[in-house]
Amino acid sequence: MNRREFLKKSLALAVGTSALLLRGSAGRALATLVSGPADLAAVRGGEPEDMFDRGLAAMGGMKRFVSKGQTVVVKPNIAWDVRPEIGANTNPALVERIVRRCIEAGASKVYVFDHTCDLWKRSYLTSGIEEAARRAGATVVPADQKRDYRKASIPGARILRETYVHELVLQSDVFINVPVLKNHGGAGLTISMKNLMGIVWDRGEFHSRGLHQCIADLSLLRKPDLNVVDAYRVMTRSGPRGTSEKDITIRKAQVLSTDIVAADAAAAKIFGTEPSSVEYIRQGDALKAGTMDLNRLKVERIAL
Amino acid sequence: MKRIRVRPLFVWIFLSGFAALFLLSDAGESGLLGFCAKIQVFPAFFRWGITLFLFAGMTLLAGRFYCSFLCPLGLFQEAVHGLGKHRLSGYHRGTSLRYGILAAVIISMATGTIGLLHLLDPFANFGRGITQILRPVLVAANNLLASFPLPGDMPRFLHVRPPAPLTPFVAMAAGIFLAALAAWSFFRGRPYCDGLCPVGTFLGLFSSHSFLRIRFDEGSCSNCGRCEAACPTACLSARKRRVDGDRCVLCLSCIEACPHGALRLGILPVGEGLQRRAFFRVAAGLGVAISLSAIRRSWTPSVLPGTAEGIEPPISPPGSRSHENFIRKCIACSACVKACPAGIIRPTLMAWGVSGLFQPVLDYDFGYCQYECKSCSTVCPTGAIEPLSLEAKQRVQIGRAQFHRDACIVVKNGTACGACAEHCPTQAAHMVPFQDGLTIPEVDASLCIGCGACHFACPASPKAMTVRGLSTHGSARPAKTPGEGPVLDPLEDFPF
Repeated sequence: MNRREFLKKSLALAVGTSALLLRGSAGRALATLVSGPADLAAVRGGEPEDMFDRGLAAMGGMKRFVSKGQTVVVKPNIAWDVRPEIGANTNPALVERIVRRCIEAGASKVYVFDHTCDLWKRSYLTSGIEEAARRAGATVVPADQKRDYRKASIPGARILRETYVHELVLQSDVFINVPVLKNHGGAGLTISMKNLMGIVWDRGEFHSRGLHQCIADLSLLRKPDLNVVDAYRVMTRSGPRGTSEKDITIRKAQVLSTDIVAADAAAAKIFGTEPSSVEYIRQGDALKAGTMDLNRLKVERIAL
Repeated sequence: MKRIRVRPLFVWIFLSGFAALFLLSDAGESGLLGFCAKIQVFPAFFRWGITLFLFAGMTLLAGRFYCSFLCPLGLFQEAVHGLGKHRLSGYHRGTSLRYGILAAVIISMATGTIGLLHLLDPFANFGRGITQILRPVLVAANNLLASFPLPGDMPRFLHVRPPAPLTPFVAMAAGIFLAALAAWSFFRGRPYCDGLCPVGTFLGLFSSHSFLRIRFDEGSCSNCGRCEAACPTACLSARKRRVDGDRCVLCLSCIEACPHGALRLGILPVGEGLQRRAFFRVAAGLGVAISLSAIRRSWTPSVLPGTAEGIEPPISPPGSRSHENFIRKCIACSACVKACPAGIIRPTLMAWGVSGLFQPVLDYDFGYCQYECKSCSTVCPTGAIEPLSLEAKQRVQIGRAQFHRDACIVVKNGTACGACAEHCPTQAAHMVPFQDGLTIPEVDASLCIGCGACHFACPASPKAMTVRGLSTHGSARPAKTPGEGPVLDPLEDFPF
């Protein structure tokens, strides 16, 4: 150990100790400074928007993802024409907070959309997401017309070598994926990777050509810069649409990650499912779209 | 000083209102537009049989004011004629063909075919014309504007909408009807009211000697004939100083045309109107009303669809209770067609047989019945689709999903799918274990409401999920989901 190294280490130790001593946000910011931002932050015990703020801080803050003047796409799950309490769509308060943080970080434009299953107008309205996102300053756009989708090829894909993808996803500087964790009749679970089916035009193709492999393939197209898994209200059965609030377990959790496969692996565990038992997570790992081995990542666990 | 002409303004405002009724998706649910739709003669008659007698009584008192104030097709003809103000041909006797048409409508209904009424009813014809011609044109124009390239980041106010539901043969029929009528009325005024309209003919039986009528003031008349040239139903003879009350629609064009004030709307003394002829006409009119009311209660469609071998029964909208009820009451005006946000209610040429000419069905190739929506039932003017609460609508079984195992992706390709179960709002279609860790759909018929979400979502070709219409709608059982509400179970520790 030379002098330079010694000084560096002492400084780190000092900062680290003061981070421990300092309570609250200053301490947390210092801790992040020392050890570097996390690859994955898991948060529990708070409201969705508060958990996001804490998780985001551990991930290095919004400045890590959004620079001044950049365009951002925030892609929640707005598939269904149901109330937020049903838990079939992403929590609107969470979407609102994410949009707000993007704009605070200097984003020139934040787009919010989903290629819905039910009629877009009704889903955008009933989910509460359109209103919440607008309130925070987002541009909420429909995605029900094929002319907004561009043919894109997916290098490395096994089945889905090309598909029509919404042009905003292809053009924007930053892509933030905001799924909701749910049981899913077809895919088993729907989390981050499955949520990307809302950026393509032809979902039927996925079902007819091999659902799991197509989901894994699509995650190679454009890696989201950040995935935020809403696991506050978790639909544990009758997914993905749900029949009533009886299908919901309030878990008060959230997963943030730059790694889409890891985000799904962590969320699957929160759901109570072994990630490797979900075929598309396994295939995403095999395609190196990310890793389902959480031990290989820097994971922050935060309890509120 | 030039007199301000109120009538054209009124015609255009009311005509626009009626057009809006068939253009705007939520118009007609309530308010003035909804009221105007519900008090149309045949829609009201299918709702409440007694209304024919009310219309008869009102016409006996005040003439055919209905035709020039409440009938959209009458207003349409007047508006079209007003564009050219073509000089009209003058008085001619009314054709007796009109009685034949009215009789044919009654006889066809009595023998189990309502199609002739669909072909002739003025309100239904107007509705089909707007939803099948004007609406698609407006949507196409909107889409053209909305896809116009804009520089840079200019905000768009128009969004490309899905094309308006259009059935080629019905649109063709509606287009030919409207175009022919427009051309005809441009030159002739109100030819439909004068000879073809079964509603007009029925009301005419009561209006020939109504109390409220156009009167001549002999002293002021200069025989200039302007009134006769202005009469759109050719019912006014200046020479004879006479207005045929059975064909006069009280549009008041003659009064406006007269430079001397020799014509006015007046109440005739009771005795003057009561002649033997008039009495017979009123008796005949009452006969028509009585027989229609009797038929209304008893008539059954001669052929019900889906009873024939090999024909899949069509699907009628939630709230229509049964195919028979729907066919009996639907006038084919297309109000539900424009109200459906999913665009799946589509008029058909003969999906319901000859009896159901132009009546709509639910077509799941275009989308599916939205679980949280009951728009069609709120706008139906005839009560063929009865209003339902959302809770009730979510339980009404309009059809039943049929799973065709051999067509299913899971069986055919051996890969996971579940698109049907994913879209099913009641979990009637749900996934059960298959083989190699795969799951396969299964339908619980007691939960299925026949909304068609599974049919629309199914990626297989041919579809592995189809919906067969139920001729009598059923009621799905409530889902037996255990528990009271959301389970509170916050994550206590991270499982990784």
